[in-house]
Amino acid sequence: MSACNQMEVDTEVNVSTSSSWSVAKQNQSGVMAAPTIMPSVTVSLHPLVIMNISEHWTRIRAQEGFRQQVLGALIGKQTGRNVEVMNSFELKFEIVDGTILVNQAYYTTKEEQFKQVFSDLDFLGWYTTGEAPTEKEIQVHKQICQINECVIMLQLNPSIRGIDHLPVTLYESIIDIVHGEATTLFVPVTYTLATEEAERIGVDHVVRMSTNDIGEKSVVAEHLVTQYSAIKMLHSRVKVVLEYIKSVENGTLQANHDLLREAYSLSHRLPVVQGSTFREEYYTQSNDVALITYLGSLTKGCNEMNNLVNKFNVLYDRQGTGRRMRGLFF
Amino acid sequence: MAGKSSDVEMAQKTWEIENNIETIPACDEIFRYDAQAHQAILAARPWDKDPHFFKDIQISALALLKMVMHARSGGPLEVMGLLLGKVINNTMIVMDSFALPVEGTETRVNPQSQAYEYMAAYIESAKEVGRLENAIGWYHSHPGYGCWLSGIDVSTQMLNQNFQEPFVAIVVDPVRTVSAGKVCLGAFRTYPKGYKPPNEEPSEYQTIPLNKIEDFGVHCKQYYPLDVSYFKSALDRKLLDSLWNKYWVNTLGSSGLLSNTDYTTGQIFDLSEKLEQSEASLSRGPFLVTALDPNEKRTEDRLTKATRDCSRASIELIHGLMAQIAKDKLFNTVGMKSTN
Repeated sequence: MSACNQMEVDTEVNVSTSSSWSVAKQNQSGVMAAPTIMPSVTVSLHPLVIMNISEHWTRIRAQEGFRQQVLGALIGKQTGRNVEVMNSFELKFEIVDGTILVNQAYYTTKEEQFKQVFSDLDFLGWYTTGEAPTEKEIQVHKQICQINECVIMLQLNPSIRGIDHLPVTLYESIIDIVHGEATTLFVPVTYTLATEEAERIGVDHVVRMSTNDIGEKSVVAEHLVTQYSAIKMLHSRVKVVLEYIKSVENGTLQANHDLLREAYSLSHRLPVVQGSTFREEYYTQSNDVALITYLGSLTKGCNEMNNLVNKFNVLYDRQGTGRRMRGLFF
Repeated sequence: MAGKSSDVEMAQKTWEIENNIETIPACDEIFRYDAQAHQAILAARPWDKDPHFFKDIQISALALLKMVMHARSGGPLEVMGLLLGKVINNTMIVMDSFALPVEGTETRVNPQSQAYEYMAAYIESAKEVGRLENAIGWYHSHPGYGCWLSGIDVSTQMLNQNFQEPFVAIVVDPVRTVSAGKVCLGAFRTYPKGYKPPNEEPSEYQTIPLNKIEDFGVHCKQYYPLDVSYFKSALDRKLLDSLWNKYWVNTLGSSGLLSNTDYTTGQIFDLSEKLEQSEASLSRGPFLVTALDPNEKRTEDRLTKATRDCSRASIELIHGLMAQIAKDKLFNTVGMKSTN
């Protein structure tokens, strides 16, 4: 259970999209905290969780025949103020007079089951589907808080159109005084996508499997296409930054100093690694690979040679069986 | 007037609700569980008549991810889990999977009675949240030595096929998945005891380490692979597309050469042993081999096999190197011209 090498991914992109998103939403409902309140935790989210929720929702819809809200629990690890959501499971609930009542007994059995397999994962929060948090979610949140204090809530919006950003938002709750009463409010939390190598390949695989099944492609082409699409993405992102700077220069856009500073520091990070030590290591690595390739071609050559000798022996066999064999075959 | 407007609202609401029902995309139909159809197929047991009944298997994106991640989390140990799904015609459909509390060793997994209790409890609790499918098979991992069934796996699977039909065995190799950059997975069903497969088409060649090759060779005729395909829901598709918008950084950031150093070294060791063996068999004289069974195409010469393993290993490494070079050109040569 320990071989979970984590990779941190894109912070900048995430922060900007998810925060601009939640700002737009805050006016809609009275359950959001003031935008000045900063969240207390940072969250990294595994794609498996997103797929799990998506499947849960799709399954319930296919079985019931209409769209329905689903609930579930998020599990993962917490170290200090960093929360890593790694897995999730479904929760059972009843709707009584329009309010959702989470089945605590069901949660307990499920948690026990998960503890047996993933002993190092703890309960972190819950997930649901829908467009924006409402009073209903606050009520559920209060119930969940009885299990564990400081929990986070994840909301996935299944009816989103367009694929510009992930329709997933995370919240944590605070208790604030509104009109002289203590009220639970949601604060949007920014998140990053965490992943490990095997998960990345799995996601890559399911993303491309629809386009991939037409005909046989060479492995090299497949590999290069993956690299190419990643670089193309990078190119488009760099282009966006460039265009922004150009229009600031022209005066069509107002300069945002934060953004300009970020772009500046980004461009100053290039070239990323320089120096003789890196070059040396780089060439060593290349040489290693070249050596193995050489070994491969040598082995291949040996094999070809061996095959040739074998065939030669079949045709011109010294023991005289060659004639008989030829008679058999031709 | 007010009554009329509420009528209109009502009409719109009902229209929306009806519309919602109809908007279940065709590709999501697979997520609906038809208990009656399932009972019917269980009663008919068409797989009893034909040992080759199941030909295809469809795995949901979720089940695939869960299996790969669970296998990876086990590190060098084998892990095991159960598959939930159903049967449509002669296709097995895996909807979901879950991990079992089974301690594997480096060479085998074997469920104990405690695990059986866990299975039953898990499936029962999953039913309460709309996961209505039953167990349809099991999966386990073969970290680093390819997707095939060992002797123990064959007997486990045979036992299950006798008593729990329909049942399938899936093997995942997390180490090869990472090294090859694509999911390494196989789904298998065993033949009944004493059954001889009519035509032995050679299965797809794969590299098997030397210390396992005997185990593989003895049992490889007792089971057959299923054609694996994957499916995802409409929502999955949308989510995955937008996930890719954030995910490309990982593709650029990962290095195939660095994450597999252990595996690469292991492969080279294995190769050298195989080459030594083939050398030994060659020195015994190639005449004997060719003269004795010239028609036997099936017994590929050891050297040829070693060559294929070798090519595969070097291709994987070249992939890693290509990525490194591309990144070097992208990120390290910027601004070089101006300074030179």
